[in-house]
Amino acid sequence: MPSDLSSLVHWILFLPLGAAAISALFLRKQGTLAAWLSTGTAFAIAGLSLKLLSQDGIVTWHTELAKFGGISLGFGYLIDAHARLMLFVVSFVAAWIHLFSVGYMKEDAARGRFFAGLSIFMFSILGIVVADNLLMTFIFWELVGFSSYMLIAHYFDKDFAAAASKKAFITNRIGDLGFILGIAMCLSLYGTLDFVALKDHAAAAKTIPVAVGALLMCGFLGKSAQFPLHVWLTDAMAGPTPVSALIHAATMVAAGVYFMARVSFLLAPEVLSFIAISGAGMAALAGLCALAQTDIKKSLAYSTLAHLGIMGCAIGLGHPALALMHMAMHAFFKATLFLGAGSVIHGCHHEQDMLKMGGLLKKMPVTAATFIAATLSNCAVPFLAGWYSKDAIIEASFHDGKFAIFAFLALAALATCLYSGRMIRLVFLGEANSEDASHAHESPWTMTLPLVVLGLVFSVGGGFAAHVLIPASSLQPIEHALGEVSFHLAAPSTIVGLLSLVLGFFGALKFYGTVRGADALQALSPRTYHLLEHRWMDGVYRWYIDSVQRRLAEFIAFLDLLVINGFAVRWLGGGIPAVLGYLTGRTFHRGQTRGYALWIVLGSLFLAWFLLAR
Amino acid sequence: MDTFPATLLQITVTAPILIGLVLIAGRSLPRSFASGFALGGFALPAVLAPWLLVLWSSESTTVAQFQSTGLWGFNFGLNGLSAPLLAMTAIVGLAAGIKALTQEVESRNTYLGLILFMLGGTLGVFGTNHIIGFYFFHEFALIPTFILTLFWGGEGRRPAAMQMAIYLTVGAMASLAGILIAIEASGMGFAQANFGDVAHGLQSANHIPAAVGALVLFGLGTLASLFPFHSWAAPGYSAAPTPVSMIHAGALKKFGLYGIILVGLSSLDITGGRLGDWFLWMAVANVVIVGFICIAQRDLKQLVSWSSVAHMGPIFIGIWVCGKSGKADGLDAAAFLMVAHGLSCAALFLLANAVRTRAGTYRLDALGGMASRAPILAALFIAATMASIGLPGFGNFWGEIGVFLSLRDQSLWLQAIIASSVVISAVYALRAVAATFFGPASESLEKRFASAPFGDLGWAERTAVGLLLLASMAIGFKPALVTKSTNEVTKLVTTYSQHNAKAPAKAVPAQPVKR
Repeated sequence: MPSDLSSLVHWILFLPLGAAAISALFLRKQGTLAAWLSTGTAFAIAGLSLKLLSQDGIVTWHTELAKFGGISLGFGYLIDAHARLMLFVVSFVAAWIHLFSVGYMKEDAARGRFFAGLSIFMFSILGIVVADNLLMTFIFWELVGFSSYMLIAHYFDKDFAAAASKKAFITNRIGDLGFILGIAMCLSLYGTLDFVALKDHAAAAKTIPVAVGALLMCGFLGKSAQFPLHVWLTDAMAGPTPVSALIHAATMVAAGVYFMARVSFLLAPEVLSFIAISGAGMAALAGLCALAQTDIKKSLAYSTLAHLGIMGCAIGLGHPALALMHMAMHAFFKATLFLGAGSVIHGCHHEQDMLKMGGLLKKMPVTAATFIAATLSNCAVPFLAGWYSKDAIIEASFHDGKFAIFAFLALAALATCLYSGRMIRLVFLGEANSEDASHAHESPWTMTLPLVVLGLVFSVGGGFAAHVLIPASSLQPIEHALGEVSFHLAAPSTIVGLLSLVLGFFGALKFYGTVRGADALQALSPRTYHLLEHRWMDGVYRWYIDSVQRRLAEFIAFLDLLVINGFAVRWLGGGIPAVLGYLTGRTFHRGQTRGYALWIVLGSLFLAWFLLAR
Repeated sequence: MDTFPATLLQITVTAPILIGLVLIAGRSLPRSFASGFALGGFALPAVLAPWLLVLWSSESTTVAQFQSTGLWGFNFGLNGLSAPLLAMTAIVGLAAGIKALTQEVESRNTYLGLILFMLGGTLGVFGTNHIIGFYFFHEFALIPTFILTLFWGGEGRRPAAMQMAIYLTVGAMASLAGILIAIEASGMGFAQANFGDVAHGLQSANHIPAAVGALVLFGLGTLASLFPFHSWAAPGYSAAPTPVSMIHAGALKKFGLYGIILVGLSSLDITGGRLGDWFLWMAVANVVIVGFICIAQRDLKQLVSWSSVAHMGPIFIGIWVCGKSGKADGLDAAAFLMVAHGLSCAALFLLANAVRTRAGTYRLDALGGMASRAPILAALFIAATMASIGLPGFGNFWGEIGVFLSLRDQSLWLQAIIASSVVISAVYALRAVAATFFGPASESLEKRFASAPFGDLGWAERTAVGLLLLASMAIGFKPALVTKSTNEVTKLVTTYSQHNAKAPAKAVPAQPVKR
């Protein structure tokens, strides 16, 4: 059976590449055609992935592209239970986001480029999912970075988009630097890059060097925007909203989590502890920062950072299956939230400031209903999708006795409810706070249908369906994950979750109703607000680029000009004859060809003598 | 009687030279005739050389093949390394030729003829197996390079051409001395001085002093812009006419690297002892110091020129690590990068010039927002930039990652320094893209557009760049196109290089868990 399924994987992987090539080459001016081609492809892939999800067993396929000496450059597939789940989540969420984009990008002149970019992205992310070795993962890892760069730069004539795309690419490359070193180290230690073979080696070895995991983790830090490489994600919101939903919330940033789960056997305990602690800390901090954003997309971006922290934390705690499950659930509800935000932005004539919105519940009922449903899932209301995965992780930290992490995660849970309540209050309740918001209109069906499917069906019912309805064989990771922790009403995570829900969510609804057209926290305590709003790490990076990197570069360039080009060369080529004899008086400064020729001969004779006589 | 491929090879090398001769002699030939004739001279090798590569890859031997006695008595012949380089040169040559044909210059026939000379010489470098022939063809290509830069070049062409002439002549002479000593020591006469025979002969020769290796390494290194002998390169490329920069930086410069591999690495001990340490440090400087110099550039063509110097770093490192570790992977990767870099770098030179002809300047602070005026130019420029910084899908990726992986048994800090080029190159390359194409259109560009409206990239330039990028993607998707040809010869060179290290090289640090 595995052999015939590999051709299915070929189709899944290469369909989007073909669509991208056709759009980029022939459909630049036919935006509508490109849009439907790309969307059709995405739905076809979703169908194929669903077919794959219903299968059992492991699919493998491998070919060697070339050899460098003894290094085999391999290309192949390894479809296990994790990969099947990830394939389904990615392709399914992506298909609906494609459909949403058809409506959202209707007015955009560069639709051909946009949809070609989306298809290239699909190709890249699916490559990471199916890859059977580290090198192939890295290839698609880089391609994902590139497609993200192109899509962030969609509005390239805006300075902020140009800067954000550059920042995202370079920050990712810093992570990739570590990733490359990790790959080289694996090759050096184990002589292979193949996941299956690596797993055998790791199982046979008593200890795994810390450096292997630490270096591979760098790739995860960059792609999944973990501290200290998280700075690019909030800027990446400069791209069109569907891009934020697909790439910078649901799939690409989750690819890092998927990768860590895939190589979890290579992570030493020290690495795991680091990921757990930094993930939990980041979850709490980013959740609080989300409170101090007025841009709806930025606020959601901080929320994504928080959830990525939670997923990282699950990996660090040694529960990769839980991390994957949260990745899946988060993909559903966060995609809905971003698409909802896109619908709101679209409806409010490209207004992104939440303080200028308000009262949209009546004007955009479908958007509002789905957004609120996804928000409740985000806040982990029991039996909604987010509850299954997030509470399981919080529970796991308590079970394992990691109380510091538990405390951070509890704070993160509270922060989630706070910013969610704030968002609902500011955007959907109360009165319209601007001209644009008072003239808001509901979006067309291409936009609301994906919201309904992703929001009402999956954000709400995803966990329940996975837990109760679907046979265990195809969803082993989730089944396994839920089997690891036991749920009961008196569990600490349930208590924390319900408390923060009541206090946070409803508190925020009330609190943010007190001031109109401004942020209540800012009115109450401007310093706290400023502290959360301010982007400290950005300052550090900017200082590095302006004061260190640029000055160093200019200094080195100056030295090169002065010392190497100016002094050493002239000295060797002309200086020695100049010192040696009078003939230079005539030849050195005139630029005559004969003079040059003379030194060349003298200089090279001298050089030859110098080198040979030693 | 020559074999069929040998005849093809002869035609590949001699056709451009003969057509160039006709064009230089017939200065008053009618324009359309000259154009068609010249196009034939550029296109013929671009058809034949890739064909030869395919023919070559289907044979599986290491020794030189397709041999024949050719022009000036030098034997023509290919080996596993030169076959892909020859194909790359021919493709770069066609792209450069298309560019040259669209240019409006004085004495057009002479200009085209000289470029054809340069191309023919460069093809000859890789189309001969004879060491002296290899050297001769390089000089043969350099002379038109100087003349073209001096008379048809851009800003600052006089000092740049002079500096280039001095550097390259000194470098070439130093390397010639080393090469001659090596040939002498191998016991071969000039007539049989083939790469393979010399390397083979040296296996049984007495110990050759490291100074000979130094002459070859630093002499040829100068030609390939090894730090600190690189000062000629950036001004030289920047001042030269675009087709000349394309052929020079893309293809002709690979002469130095090719020589370092086939004469230096295979016959002399250039990676052992103190010389080896120097080699390493210089190559590291190519990566890091020149990388930082790239970051400091404020001029698009200067940046492209400098980045072409910086990209030599990983190639040198690949050669070094091959000699050091005794494994062929680094050399395979270096050879791959040589081919891939030629394609991407030629594309960038062409596109940078296309920016200049539209915006009237190379200064990055005066550029900006060109993507909305010339979307195809922008798209191709981004593609070429991505190729040059090693995006998978283009050839450069395999070369770079191969070099990084070949360093796996070296110390971690060295690996980190070399691999940092992925960040450094992204910093300067994306800065150039953003400054040229993104953001709102700059004031000076708007003014320029109002006075001299410009359009997007024309069909000729699209074809030329498309050719280069397609070739790069071909080897990116199917790396075996190159490695099938190089694998065997790199293995052989590696074996030779280990024999040269008379004092046995320090053993590779013991690896834990190696099963």
